[in-house]
This record gives sequence, structure tokens and C-alpha cells, in this order.
Amino acid sequence: MTHSLTMRDRLRIERVVWSVDSRLQDLPRRSRIEKRRELRDNLRSAASDVGATEAIHGLGDTRRLAAEYMAAEYGDGGRPPSWTTAVAVFFGGILILEWLLEAGTSAFVAGVVGSDPNATGTFKWEGIAYVLDDVTFRFTDGHSTSIGGAWTPFTYVLLLLVVVLAGKLWRLIPAWRRHR
Amino acid sequence: MQTAHDPQLLKGVLSLLLLRLLADRESYGYEVVQRLRDLGLSDISEGSVYPALARLEREGRVRARLVSSNSGPARKYYRPTTAGEAALAEGIESWLALNTVVNSVLTRTTERNRK
Repeated sequence: MTHSLTMRDRLRIERVVWSVDSRLQDLPRRSRIEKRRELRDNLRSAASDVGATEAIHGLGDTRRLAAEYMAAEYGDGGRPPSWTTAVAVFFGGILILEWLLEAGTSAFVAGVVGSDPNATGTFKWEGIAYVLDDVTFRFTDGHSTSIGGAWTPFTYVLLLLVVVLAGKLWRLIPAWRRHR
Repeated sequence: MQTAHDPQLLKGVLSLLLLRLLADRESYGYEVVQRLRDLGLSDISEGSVYPALARLEREGRVRARLVSSNSGPARKYYRPTTAGEAALAEGIESWLALNTVVNSVLTRTTERNRK
């Protein structure tokens, strides 16, 4: 028996499709779109055949389905690559570096003002070896302005490396090649 | 009453079954599920078949092509590649060899229990 799909059926199917799709965000874009389209088409075919409720039920747990799709793309060997993790680690790294700079400069300023509340002149903080460049402070009557404190090239490389490792981004390369 | 099939046992041979069916006739995802059900795997879930097809495609064992459909957007039909056909032949051979051994062991055990 063929079931004609109502608007409600279509909406229910869309909800399932997008529920799976939201867990496929670490697939290459083209692969993700293909999976979404194919799943929608299969669900509509199934719904025409057995009704939307049965079609959705037949799909099983959408989390498991998404995990199976991820394993199908990247293989079963360990955690798949994750942009979400990579982005989180990137911003986490920036926060840590900014905190280091802030903590270092605050401590330096406190030290100078502590020794002379009306300090005037130019002072230099050496920064953190390999991580932050030196910072030059100009004090006028205990009040300071500063320049410097840039990240070193080593810091950029280190941050990039940590992001790639945390997100396992190298595992995206074969998948990208396949879907190009 | 139909016997429920052990999903773990089925998982081991699912790719072989898919290759065999697709070698007979190219099909899209849900059609493959229907064909498996018609052949007796009534409890097989779509959720296990669709990723298995994606995996076969990644492994280069099936090729997909889009075929326009009257009922909506173009449909993705699968059929085995040369590598898929070779894997199928090898898989059938392995399965039949294993099946012979497993059958003989299981049958012998059953006979001994009867004595």
C-alpha cells in the first residue's frame, strides 16, 4: 500500500534528517550534504511504503546511525576528526595565552608601582621565553601604558600543532580527497 | 513466527549480502532494505544498511550514480565496482568454507547431546 505523505510526515522526516545531520558536522561538507539528501530520500521512500512512523522507527537510534556514518567515512580506528574540538582548543589556547600575558604584565606593573608608587620612566618586561615577546612599559607618575607582548612564531606553531592534534584534523585529508 | 537474527552475526556478513544483491541489480538504499526483507531478513534496520553502503562506497567496493526520480530529487543507486566483485567472490568463498566447518561442529555437538 502506498501512503501519501502529509505535511506533518514531511516535517517529522525533516526533524530526523536534521537530527542525524547535526551529528555529522565533522564530515567533509560534500559528504554531509550527500548523506542528508540520501537519508531524506530513503526515509520518504520508506514512508510512502510503510508510513512515516514505521519509516522513522525502522531507522533506529539516530545517534547510533550518525556514529555509523562517521565510522563509515573515517574507519573504526579511534575517535574521528572533530572541528568542534579543534575550534574549542583553539579558543582555549588563545584564552590561556591572553591570561598569561595579562598575569605577567599585571605582576610586572604591580612590582614597579610597589617599589615606587610614583614611578616614571621606561621599563621592560622580558616576556615569557619562546611564548611571549618582551613588553615595554612607559610609566608616568605611577600610571603606565605598554606595547609589545606579541606571541612568538613558536607559539603560533605550537597552537596550530595542538589544534591539529586535538581535533585529529589530519584524518580529514583522505576524506576530502575522496569527495573532491 | 520469524526468527530474530543476531545483529552481531549479521553485521559480519552484511557487506557481503549487499554486494551480492547489488551485483544482481543496482538499487538505492531503501530498495536494498526491502530486498533484504523480502529474502527473509525481516528485522534488518535501515540504520544498519545505509552506513554499510556508505562504507562500501568509501572502500571503493561500490559505485554510486544519481538517477532522476519521479517522486522527488535524484536517487543514489549503487552497484559493485570491479574491486567489489572481487571482494564478493572472495567473501563467498570464505563464508562457504566457514559455513561448512561451523555446520559440521554444530551438528556434531547436537548429535552428541542426543545420545
